[in-house]
Amino acid sequence: MENQSNQQNATEKGKKHKRGAGLKLLHLLQHILFVTAVLLLVVVLNRSYVVVDTLRGAQAYELTGVEENETFEDSEVFNTLLGNSISDIICFGTIRGQLETDSEFDGGKKVDVTAFAGRYNGVMSEYITAEYYLEDLIKWAQAGFDYERVYMSGEDVDRFLSRKRTVTKVNLDDYSGGTVSYLNTDLSSSVTVEDVSGNFLEEGMTDRDPADANVMNNRYHTVEGKNIEDYVSTWEEYYELCGNVKKAAEDLSTNYNEYIKYKDYYDLGNSNVVYVISRTIGNKTQIFSNMEIGSEKLSELKKELLEQCDRYVYYDPFNMQYDTNTLIEESTLRYILNGYEYSYPDNTQIMIGVRSGYGTKDCFYQANAGFGSFVPYIWQYLLCALVLGGVYLFLLALLTIKEGTVYRKNIGERRHRLHPEDHIPTEIMLLAGIASAFLLAYVGKRGLDWWLWNSAENEVKVILAGIFALVVSVLFSIFYYSFVRRIKAGRIWKDSLLYRLGQSVKKGVAYVYDCSAVILRVWIPYILLILLNLGGGLVIGNLVYNGGKAAFLGCALLLMADGAAGYILYRSALAKQLILEGIELIKNGNLTHKVGEEGMHGDDLLLARAVNSIGESVRTAVETSMKDERLKADLITNVSHDIKTPLTSIINYVDLIKRENVQEPKVREYIEILDAKSQRLKQLTDDLVEASKISSGNIVLQWEKINLVELLNQTIGEFSEKFEEKALYPVWNAPKGSVYIEADSRRIWRVIENLFNNIYKYALSGTRVYIDLEKIQAEGTVSQIRLSIKNISAQPLKVNPEELAERFIRGDESRTTEGSGLGLSIAKNLTQAMKGKFEIFMDGDLFKVNLTFPLLEEG
Amino acid sequence: MTNILVCDDDKEIVDAIEIYLNQEGYQVHKAYDGEQAVSMLKELNIQLLIIDIMMPKLDGIRATLKIREYSSIPIIFLSAKSEDADKILGLNIGADDYVTKPFNPLELVARVKSNLRRYTQLGNLNVENNALFQAGGLCINDDTKEVTVDGENVKLTPIEYNILLLLVKNQGKVFSIDQIYENIWNEEAIGADNTVAVHIRHIREKIEINPKEPRYLKVVWGVGYKIEKQ
Repeated sequence: MENQSNQQNATEKGKKHKRGAGLKLLHLLQHILFVTAVLLLVVVLNRSYVVVDTLRGAQAYELTGVEENETFEDSEVFNTLLGNSISDIICFGTIRGQLETDSEFDGGKKVDVTAFAGRYNGVMSEYITAEYYLEDLIKWAQAGFDYERVYMSGEDVDRFLSRKRTVTKVNLDDYSGGTVSYLNTDLSSSVTVEDVSGNFLEEGMTDRDPADANVMNNRYHTVEGKNIEDYVSTWEEYYELCGNVKKAAEDLSTNYNEYIKYKDYYDLGNSNVVYVISRTIGNKTQIFSNMEIGSEKLSELKKELLEQCDRYVYYDPFNMQYDTNTLIEESTLRYILNGYEYSYPDNTQIMIGVRSGYGTKDCFYQANAGFGSFVPYIWQYLLCALVLGGVYLFLLALLTIKEGTVYRKNIGERRHRLHPEDHIPTEIMLLAGIASAFLLAYVGKRGLDWWLWNSAENEVKVILAGIFALVVSVLFSIFYYSFVRRIKAGRIWKDSLLYRLGQSVKKGVAYVYDCSAVILRVWIPYILLILLNLGGGLVIGNLVYNGGKAAFLGCALLLMADGAAGYILYRSALAKQLILEGIELIKNGNLTHKVGEEGMHGDDLLLARAVNSIGESVRTAVETSMKDERLKADLITNVSHDIKTPLTSIINYVDLIKRENVQEPKVREYIEILDAKSQRLKQLTDDLVEASKISSGNIVLQWEKINLVELLNQTIGEFSEKFEEKALYPVWNAPKGSVYIEADSRRIWRVIENLFNNIYKYALSGTRVYIDLEKIQAEGTVSQIRLSIKNISAQPLKVNPEELAERFIRGDESRTTEGSGLGLSIAKNLTQAMKGKFEIFMDGDLFKVNLTFPLLEEG
Repeated sequence: MTNILVCDDDKEIVDAIEIYLNQEGYQVHKAYDGEQAVSMLKELNIQLLIIDIMMPKLDGIRATLKIREYSSIPIIFLSAKSEDADKILGLNIGADDYVTKPFNPLELVARVKSNLRRYTQLGNLNVENNALFQAGGLCINDDTKEVTVDGENVKLTPIEYNILLLLVKNQGKVFSIDQIYENIWNEEAIGADNTVAVHIRHIREKIEINPKEPRYLKVVWGVGYKIEKQ
């Protein structure tokens, strides 16, 4: 047996284990799903932008918002890249125009520094300038400009600045078309050198002021082999020219650096971008391109470009032509060109294309690759992530349902099961959960920033993201399922610190309340309340004196406290009231009444319980005794039935013997005794049954209006013969008319009959029997009728009146005379059942019975 | 020859009853349980049945119910059960009379006779006579001033006769002592008087088999007297 149960236990344990393992597997699956979904999203995010190498370094471009069937060439990325390229190339074209002669870098190019420095704003019609070789200026800027502080006397100044200056006049022919044409014409041919001198003297200035001058070292000389000071005659002119030299040199140096970069970047070997820019100034046309330029004409170059490129932009502002199959708009181009207005004359043609196939590994190649690996699959990725998310949610729901309960086969029902962490107080768990969530959110945000801008390997990023997702999933599971289990077990509130605190306080208060003496229990709250009121009153008075709303609030709080005290007193009084009412009800015979114990505390509760238990015990006692009486009555009835059957035979056969005409006087005497005793036995049996029934309340009364005078007349008539036989003379006094009471007619007859039978049996022969009926006014409002029957007893009365009405008590103790001893008992019980009063009085041999009934008023 | 079936599980009681009935000249058949009684009743020509209630196999109540399905002979219950409820039940299910144990043999015989007479003579009465008053087995012929109970003559004094006639003429109505007095003596009643009550007791003793349990002249205690409407 034990073995069997052990086995059963073992298998059950196994099953449970298996079940637990299944659930654990589901949990694991959930984590895997979450991590996978996150990784998918990571991949999507990872591929949703491309990083390309541009002139400005690595640049990231988002691929969001793309249509599924969009091609790379129609994408925003392509557009942006192309736009950047166009901007670059237009800039590059400008630089090339500055640095190149016939598509080659020309260090020997002569630069008019003032014109160049003022290329954005144009130049004056006459200006002072100097011409330097391009390479000198670049080198000078790279080396830096040195200044020297020199103190000069007037003569020194005169010597240094000389009294001549070289003024360049703008050849207006060259200037038609603006700065751009002026700058780009052959400067040498447009510059005339004038010697202007003596201006100062003519103005009457004989001497120059001495000066503390900041003199720039002439690292390089001009094309003419001169220094800066040789071209000017005043300090203003000198400093201006120095500034122009410096600015031109620095700008050119910067542009040279750009030039190197652009040249390399947009070299056909490095770039998929093909461009042709042609500008015509005057009647001279320059073509910039990264294609081989031989003797081809512009139209041929354009044709060649179109062969190589699917996508292109063509802009010819002079002829107002714009043509493209890209998303670049004309306004964009015009806007870019406006920045280089000095460089591009009206007659400019720009054509830029991107070679189809992206054979060169440049930014377009990279972007195309990224685009191709992401855009066609984006919906698959997202769908996949969605499905995984769906499965995750399904599992979440399933596990939410399953979690926290376990099916116990041996008791056949589900039981709650908690994990160790579920016993951590609710608030702490909640705080931990919220803290974790915030921490993870912070880490996630920082991680995302890092992840977007850090160039770490993709694999590392993915692994880190996976680990992060796993941590999130596990932490979520721990907190979420803990709360699910708590809710199912109904322990959220019970495990909270607040609840425990509340319980402790409640217990403490209850302990103090229950264990302290009555004096403390009453006085402490009373004194506390008075102190609170006094203190509160003082504080409020103070506050009122100082003004402010705080007084108002204080008043409200104080009123609330007083109100609470009043309510507690009211509750207690109510409880007392209920208990008193309950006691009254129980006292009046409503034994099933129960005092409601809800909302009672302390003494009141004890009192209510005590009252209820007393009521209950009384009810039980009464019920038991009633039940006992009924059982007794039933028993007596049954026994009497069993007695009657043999009694019938006795009576019958005694009678048969009597008929046999026995002559022997002795036998005849015996037979008479047998006859009498058997008859008495019969009477006894009947009376016994009746008495037991009446005393057990087992009778049903039929109330009628009874005329007592009539009843007495009838009864006296019935007994007339019997009384005559015993020489008893009834003296019957009745009020005039009828006297009505409410009673059961057969039962009231039984009462009177018994009393008369009693008289017949025990009264002294030859005496009078007084029967008096009179109305009496009782203390109450109801008038009563009293029937008084008096007779003289034949035997001395030895028992007391109370005992006489008890069962089986008779006037003569010998018990030899007839009578069951039940007559008076039955009469008394019946009288009482009919709301009457039955009293026996004895005075010497005088035997008196008083019956009192409420009088039924006429009408 | 009148056949009477006596049924009781107590053999001695049956034997005693047999002796009494034989003395009156009836043929007695004996049964000791309900089933036996039912089967004997089918086989024999029985004119009256005396049956006990508490019996083995089939009790008196059920036996009576069975018998009443096909027979209307007088049935007298003989039972130790003396409660009112028992009597009412017995009479309601079809018994003609109810005698409680222990019984007075003479009373039982009288009831047997009464029931037999009523059963055999009931149809022969001449009801058309205006001077003829009847209440069950009680007949008063006002022409001849003759009173019969179940066909047997009863001798009454003139006052007794007048009282009985008053009550029989007004069957079911309850007369108080004063009313009877005023009707018979044509004088105003003087209150506390038991003359009428004594006369009534005398009438009962003459016309009733058991005056303490009257069949015709009933006492309504505290109210008056009446002849039960049959």
